Amino acid sequence: MSKARFLFTAAALVTVPAAVAQIQITLEGDPPVFRATGSSVLPRLKNPNFSAIFRVSLDRDDVPPMAGDYSVQGGTLIFRPEFPLEPGLTYRAVFHLVTDKVSATFTAPKPKPVSTVVVEQVYPTVETLPENQLKFYIHFSAPMSRGEAYQRLRLITGQDQPVSLPFLELDEELWDRDQKRLTLFFDPGRVKRGLLPNQEVGAPLEEGKRYSLVIDQEWKDAQGVPLKQGFKKSFTVGPADRTPLDPKKWRLTPPLADTATPVLLDFHEPLDAALLMRFIDVIDINGKPVKGTVSIEREETRWTFMPAEPWKAGAYKLEIMTALEDLAGNKIGRAFDVDRFEQVDQTIAADFYTLPFTVR
Amino acid sequence: MFTIRIFIFLSLALMLVAAPAAKYTDTLQPGKAALLSAGPLAFGPEGILFVGDPMGASIFALDTADTKPGKAAPVNITGISDKIAALLGTTGDQILINDLAVNPISKRAYISVARGRGPDAAPVVVRTDASGKLETLSLDNIRHSRVALPNAPAPDAKDRRNQPLRLEAITDLSFVDGNVIVAGLSNEEFASNLRSIPFPFKEASAGTSVEIYHGQHGRFETNSPVRTFTTWEVANQPHLLAAYTCTPLVKFPLADLKPGKKITGVTIAELGNRNRPLDMIIYKKGGANYILMNNSSRGVMKMPADKLESFTSITAQTEKQGVPYETLEGWKGVEQLDRYDEGNALMLVRQEGGSADLQSVALP
Repeated sequence: MSKARFLFTAAALVTVPAAVAQIQITLEGDPPVFRATGSSVLPRLKNPNFSAIFRVSLDRDDVPPMAGDYSVQGGTLIFRPEFPLEPGLTYRAVFHLVTDKVSATFTAPKPKPVSTVVVEQVYPTVETLPENQLKFYIHFSAPMSRGEAYQRLRLITGQDQPVSLPFLELDEELWDRDQKRLTLFFDPGRVKRGLLPNQEVGAPLEEGKRYSLVIDQEWKDAQGVPLKQGFKKSFTVGPADRTPLDPKKWRLTPPLADTATPVLLDFHEPLDAALLMRFIDVIDINGKPVKGTVSIEREETRWTFMPAEPWKAGAYKLEIMTALEDLAGNKIGRAFDVDRFEQVDQTIAADFYTLPFTVR
Repeated sequence: MFTIRIFIFLSLALMLVAAPAAKYTDTLQPGKAALLSAGPLAFGPEGILFVGDPMGASIFALDTADTKPGKAAPVNITGISDKIAALLGTTGDQILINDLAVNPISKRAYISVARGRGPDAAPVVVRTDASGKLETLSLDNIRHSRVALPNAPAPDAKDRRNQPLRLEAITDLSFVDGNVIVAGLSNEEFASNLRSIPFPFKEASAGTSVEIYHGQHGRFETNSPVRTFTTWEVANQPHLLAAYTCTPLVKFPLADLKPGKKITGVTIAELGNRNRPLDMIIYKKGGANYILMNNSSRGVMKMPADKLESFTSITAQTEKQGVPYETLEGWKGVEQLDRYDEGNALMLVRQEGGSADLQSVALP
């Protein structure tokens, strides 16, 4: 939005005494700059206070002048705004030297907003979530606006009753760089056992019940335009999952030599979609990562890796970071909230879990 | 969000006496400080402003050259959010105020802002004082240095094939005893990432990352992100007091911030449910020390900062367990809080209409 070229239209000049009648205020260029042209006094001033002579601001009273730089070219005083002008807003430029005052306002037309952005996917995609589900990832088709996420998200019960404050509301809002994916954590104080919020108000989700995550259509994209449509993800809640990941239960399907077929890794439960994309590497016999493409299938219970080139026969391994999580934040060898009375030796010190396979 | 603590003053004073030639600002280079975002702020020595840049996964040290000692004159700037927006040529709904920090030398207030709400929002640092005059801190040519935060808290982070979606929010920042301490929260793993980075920044050192756990009533323990923190002496040892996103207030010795060390903080208070701690400052009044903490929904809390060693880990569930706190009447909508001078705080107060005021207030 800020980089677009806008045609600014000047409104009526006002307060034009005879002595400065020849002074013209314009706004043009790319990026646009304000110019006050025609002052015969200006070139003769010593150490002028430009910001007092030529004040550029929003067209409102009681606002400070805009940040920017001044320069003089002959009889022209130029104001270059530090930040781009916004379409739809009106700016006021006042040239005021001694008793003479010229003022002009400029407005750039605002393009008619067109809603195009939709929610593409919400992870996890599986129908049944554990009672201690830790987070959602919400993927949008284009960059979104920051600062209103928690007003636009609701969790409702199967009877359309709102669940009060289920999520961790962080002013920072956990977006990716493009602001196309929002990470939404459930309030960890309510999910973790033993904490006061968990004791007092309980977990946000209850086993056996049905809920929907509702995303309001009013949520604005990065252009300030609402979504094309709202989104609703309904799910059922199953038992809490407090079991660390156990790779011994996973099933690896090796590919065939001289083919560009995928290596498959099937899990007995859905895992965290984002971490699955990042935390598993294929390593060849020389210890080098194999190039290829990862995809997540079957409701996040299958990881597939398609090699860029056909496999050579030989020994390979999957290197899996132990920080990989299931839907409830349990990692390889370590549950999300470790019950130190019941599970004493669950902590794994290693950073990687290795799963060897042979391509024949 | 940030306060320079007494022991830092003392240690810095000692350093300056011991090595007067080494100035921190001498290590900063002029040029464009290429921030992608301006998040948490913290002042260090010599008017150096540390700025957390979560989008750029970096911490910047900026030489504000704002080193003329000033007095903490009363501040009351109504509608400062709208005024900052106008300074930036836009309207209040198009900016986000991210943090507030007071320069302990000049007493001017620095405010980090995103101009715009999309991914290409411009990072801005605005400063003001009791006169209400607002100006931007030019980032185009400023003495600065930068340190990159590693992309992942994993001990052996690798280049990945996929376009990284992972980004770490920086939730708090502080300069303590020659180190910049950074609390972060990933948008993928729910884990603590508290990093201690030596300053002046060095190319190869992104500092020490430690895992911090907190015990939950002596039974459960979780690796959890820290929301805000401050430093304070407990039993004559510098400690970090950290508030988690999930309400416990914990303490642990600063000396424990060592590579690869697993730290379990001692829970000294639970601050009530449905609440997020925002900022903490420590101050002295009438011979006693206090912690002041503003929260998302539980107002501003005041609690004693003395004899914290006498509070052992919480083991039972009652609302006012651990360090006792009182919620201050009439302190509503305090979104940002920093120490102004010995007797006053500076705060950004959100009004019901949506605009925010900057106000100084006597410490309670």
